[in-house]
Amino acid sequence: MEFEFRRRDYGAKHESQLLHRSRTHKHPLSSTLDSRQPQAKTVGSSDLGFFDPLRGVDVDVSVEEKVEDTSISLEAVTQDLMKEWKSLKRMLMQRFPVSKVISFSPISNIIMKGSKVETSSSLSHLEKTGSEQTSLEETARMINQQEYLAKVHELRDGITSAWQAEDRVTSLKLSIKVTKLLMDTTVLQFYPTVFVIVTDMLDMLGDMVWERIKQKAELDVDGIVISSLLNDFQASDICLEARETCYNWFCKVGSVREILPRIYLELAILPCWRFLTHQPMEVLDRLVMMVRGIADPLASLYCHLYMVHRMQKFGFCNSGYLIKCIKDIKDVLAPVLKDKDGYSYITDDKKLLFSLMEPAIDYIMKCLLRTGRQENNVLGVLEELGFGSNQSSYNSSHVSIVLHHLLKELPSELVSSQAMEILHMIKCSNDYSFSQILNYRLLGNRLCEGTSQASFLSSLINEVIQAASQYQTLYDYLRIMDAYVDLMLQNEMKNHLDALLDDIVTLAHDKFLSEEEQASLQSIILKLLSHFEDLQEVLPLNHFIEILDLMSGTSKTSVNMHLLNMGTRNGCICDSTTVQLLFEVSQALYDATDFVNIKDDDNRQTAHLISRFVEMVDYGAEMERHLMFLAECREAFNGIHELKETLVRSSNTLAVKALKEGKKHINFVKSCLAFSEVTIPSVSTPTKQLNLYLETAEVALLGGLISHSDGLVMSAVECLENVALTNGLKSVDVDSMASAVCKLCSLLVMVPGNPEKGVMEILKSIFSATCSSSWAMPRLKVKIFCAIISLLSTLSQDNLPYHSANPEIIGNDLLFFGDSSYKKELVLCTQLVLRELVDAIEQESSQIARGNMALEASNCISSALVMNENVSQLCSKLLETAKGCLGAKDSYLKSTKK
Amino acid sequence: MATTVNIKLSRSNRIYRSSEPVEGKIVIKSPSSISHQGIRLSVNGSVNLQVRGGSAGVIESFYGVIKPITIVKKTIEVTSSGKFASGTTEIPFSVNLKEPGESIVEKFYETFHGTNINIQYLLTADITRGYLYKPLSATVEFIIESGRVDLPERPIPPELVIFYITQDTQRHPLLPEIKTGGFRVTGKIATQCSLQDPLSGELTVEASSVPITSIDIHLIRVESIIVGERIVTETSLIQSTQIADGDVCRNMTLPIYVLLPRLLMCPSVFAGPFSVEFKVCIAISFKSKLAKAQPKSDPTAPRLWWRDYHWNLSGRSEISSAANEQANISGETCFFVCVVHITKKFDLELELYAYKLALTS
Repeated sequence: MEFEFRRRDYGAKHESQLLHRSRTHKHPLSSTLDSRQPQAKTVGSSDLGFFDPLRGVDVDVSVEEKVEDTSISLEAVTQDLMKEWKSLKRMLMQRFPVSKVISFSPISNIIMKGSKVETSSSLSHLEKTGSEQTSLEETARMINQQEYLAKVHELRDGITSAWQAEDRVTSLKLSIKVTKLLMDTTVLQFYPTVFVIVTDMLDMLGDMVWERIKQKAELDVDGIVISSLLNDFQASDICLEARETCYNWFCKVGSVREILPRIYLELAILPCWRFLTHQPMEVLDRLVMMVRGIADPLASLYCHLYMVHRMQKFGFCNSGYLIKCIKDIKDVLAPVLKDKDGYSYITDDKKLLFSLMEPAIDYIMKCLLRTGRQENNVLGVLEELGFGSNQSSYNSSHVSIVLHHLLKELPSELVSSQAMEILHMIKCSNDYSFSQILNYRLLGNRLCEGTSQASFLSSLINEVIQAASQYQTLYDYLRIMDAYVDLMLQNEMKNHLDALLDDIVTLAHDKFLSEEEQASLQSIILKLLSHFEDLQEVLPLNHFIEILDLMSGTSKTSVNMHLLNMGTRNGCICDSTTVQLLFEVSQALYDATDFVNIKDDDNRQTAHLISRFVEMVDYGAEMERHLMFLAECREAFNGIHELKETLVRSSNTLAVKALKEGKKHINFVKSCLAFSEVTIPSVSTPTKQLNLYLETAEVALLGGLISHSDGLVMSAVECLENVALTNGLKSVDVDSMASAVCKLCSLLVMVPGNPEKGVMEILKSIFSATCSSSWAMPRLKVKIFCAIISLLSTLSQDNLPYHSANPEIIGNDLLFFGDSSYKKELVLCTQLVLRELVDAIEQESSQIARGNMALEASNCISSALVMNENVSQLCSKLLETAKGCLGAKDSYLKSTKK
Repeated sequence: MATTVNIKLSRSNRIYRSSEPVEGKIVIKSPSSISHQGIRLSVNGSVNLQVRGGSAGVIESFYGVIKPITIVKKTIEVTSSGKFASGTTEIPFSVNLKEPGESIVEKFYETFHGTNINIQYLLTADITRGYLYKPLSATVEFIIESGRVDLPERPIPPELVIFYITQDTQRHPLLPEIKTGGFRVTGKIATQCSLQDPLSGELTVEASSVPITSIDIHLIRVESIIVGERIVTETSLIQSTQIADGDVCRNMTLPIYVLLPRLLMCPSVFAGPFSVEFKVCIAISFKSKLAKAQPKSDPTAPRLWWRDYHWNLSGRSEISSAANEQANISGETCFFVCVVHITKKFDLELELYAYKLALTS
């Protein structure tokens, strides 16, 4: 077989195939401002009419909008609160799960037992037996929670079925019975659950009564509609009979002796007052006062809760009543907080009590502030609650749990404008219902939400710091100050920040920090870090490093991650102290993570951060030192595979940088290359290794170090061979492997052949490695063989398409110019490859793939070789194969034929 | 199907004023036509007095029923003899309770059903049907409520009373700890109240060294009948309403609000042979350490103490079994009692409504 390579004139081809270039008038990315503006306008105008419930209420917005807001929001507020109520109910049921067995006091026992027995008679029965038994308390029966609930549900079903059977007296009696369950507060944790069940039942009863009376008012005796009631009907519209019935209901409810069920039941049928009187609101005055008659704090609070719920459900809500409620709650709580002698102490029972009360207080406060906002009278509400009365002698100490929830719900503008006042209130309210620390904290958090003037902030924070340092423990101090860090940062209060850091160091002196303290400290440091743009600004802060050293464990890791992230965020790291710090940080991170055994996302992130840090380090002119640093890194972070790659890249970059600076650094370049060469074998995946070898070889070639590049290319080929040996079974990324080989081929264009070892030495070893490799599928083999054929064809040209950037290196075209044995060898080699190529095509099992491969190969051959007989025979044979596989109609086939 | 007779009154609630005619129709349902000898309608209103059990002595209970006092008794003929066709026949009627010129012996007291006193108005229709057939009859009760005209003429007591209850106002022996510790509860309560309105007032616990368990408002009815030369009084508890449960906060005003149970009450009546009046009792129960040892007294069943307690404030002579007093009145409960005068409500709107109703039906 005789082959001849086609001649190529790369220069002319390049010229002819260049795209014609022309200037554009517009930058595609520059925004067309004119066209976008009207759009923005329409968005703005449509926004005005739209009320977004999630936006909450900005008091800051103009008065006009405010008016609009209120007009919409009566409904919206009610709706909102209904949702709240639902979620509150769910929360109450979930938050206070009950142990399986509950002991019940005799009261609920009787209720639970007596389905037919009259309450009073069984009570008198108990009275008789009471003398025989030693104490009534001991008769408390144990009952399963499920049993209890089932019993209540049974009663509720009884109510509905009795109602449907027109037996309303029975259903009322049952309702009273169920409501009486709320009188029993002996098992505290169970109370919320009972509350939810009972109020559900009451709501249901209330609706039924309302519907019935409404029906009476609308229909006559025979069930014909006389008049349908408007939504805003007056009591005078109601016919006498309906009013009689309605009044009768109130009488029946009023005849219940016990105050608690009486109040609940009246609340259930509260809206029915509208049938009787023009001002149903007056009734509320009395009801609010009646609740005072319940002395038990928990029962009283939940009763208030139900009242507020009923009020807002029927639009009776009015800040006046709500304020009264809250004042009454405070009074009820007072004796719990302090006993007769004014001595306050906390017990587990009380803690539980307060935790049970919290949701209720929260809900009432929410209602109050929403109603206040809707009435545009939040300030008035606050005044009523005792704001602004500080100067007077009236000593208003606030119950801290109430204060907490008030503060939580206040609009943020008010929080900022009243901050000093609130601070003083928090100071005064130091009782056990709620942690004062958390109140301070909340104030800080709320202040952060709004925009506040720095004028009073400084004195405010001064006071807070004072108050906080009274707590001698670090944890409390941290918890309070954590909330204020943002404020300090936003308002650039450097002095305060310094004071804070000083305090932390003093308080933490010689102590081992607990986990909670660590967490708080972490939060503070993270706030600091996220505030500053650059690490350079953080480091000079007082004691910053000292504080960093205080940390340990996971929070330390987290802080370190942030530090690293921040350090690598803003481009190169030049400062040597920073590098040192970050290196230590990285080392700590590395030590804290087990890279060898566990591979998860966290680890990967850490690895990534460290690599990025190494990548970002820049010693500038001190290149030797940089290389040292890289070596250090290699030693320190041995377990991170990702880093190795970075190291090689960095050292290559370093070498290139040195090369650019001139010839004098050639020794340094050599050491860089040596470093790379040594590092590459420890890179895990062969593809990466291959690529890195190639990269380094390129650098070596650039530096004119042919022996180095030869060595590196040989290593690459060896690596290729090794893939077959080591990774025979593992799935290697074969595609990228193949493309790496192609890349190698294109690199070889520049590499001068070594006459001593034989010009084709490298090429041959690639070829043999490919042939013998187990990983290369026929498809890839074809690809690689085609690349080799192209390479051979290129090498045969008198003028190579590209040369190494280093003028010292002479290309093969000059080296072997006119050397016939060289060309002969090329042709020989081509023959060898062609044979293998055809074989490889035959081996492919898939018909379509085989056809495509045949076409590809024939294309490659026809472009590389001159069409003599042999070649065209081969080509037509390949085309036949393709035809057989693909069918005559394939478009690729047609275009190849031409 | 047998022949039935029913009286259907013009008002479904059956409430009439004494000045108004009682109207309605007699409804006769019969499978076959029947002849009759006239339909008579009689109105019978009377006060039935009865002494039974309770505070009455042996001799009084022996008497049993005292002769009832007749308020009104008259009969009118609706139709003279004739014949009803088969099916439903309706005969309208209208009876004047008092004729303009007529002088009545007794006032038209309001309908009232008490323990010892019953004031009742009945309307009876009789159909006589010759000798061979049983006469048909139907009776229905109608309710008299007094209008404006029938205002009581007795002097009305002051409308409001301001009270204070301390350990020193109590006439019965108290537990020593209450006596020494002391307490003070103040407030005010209406002493004149119309039947439709709630009884209202306020109460404030100003101080109490012993914790309070409950504060209740008891509504008490006192029925008195003159029997021979003695007055027999029956007091019954109508309704208890708790206004405070547990040791309530001091110096907080609690509302007193009691809806009056209509079936058990009527406006206060002071007639010659009988009287019905009402009292309010505020009872404060204390939680005492000593009381725990004794069987607990149940505030829901105060049956034992209210009858025997000597009602000093009523100003009437009482029959009290002083012997039982000490045993039954608990030392841990303190009282305040006052008379409440129950009146009619002058609801102009209602009045007009009733008038209109009377015109149309």
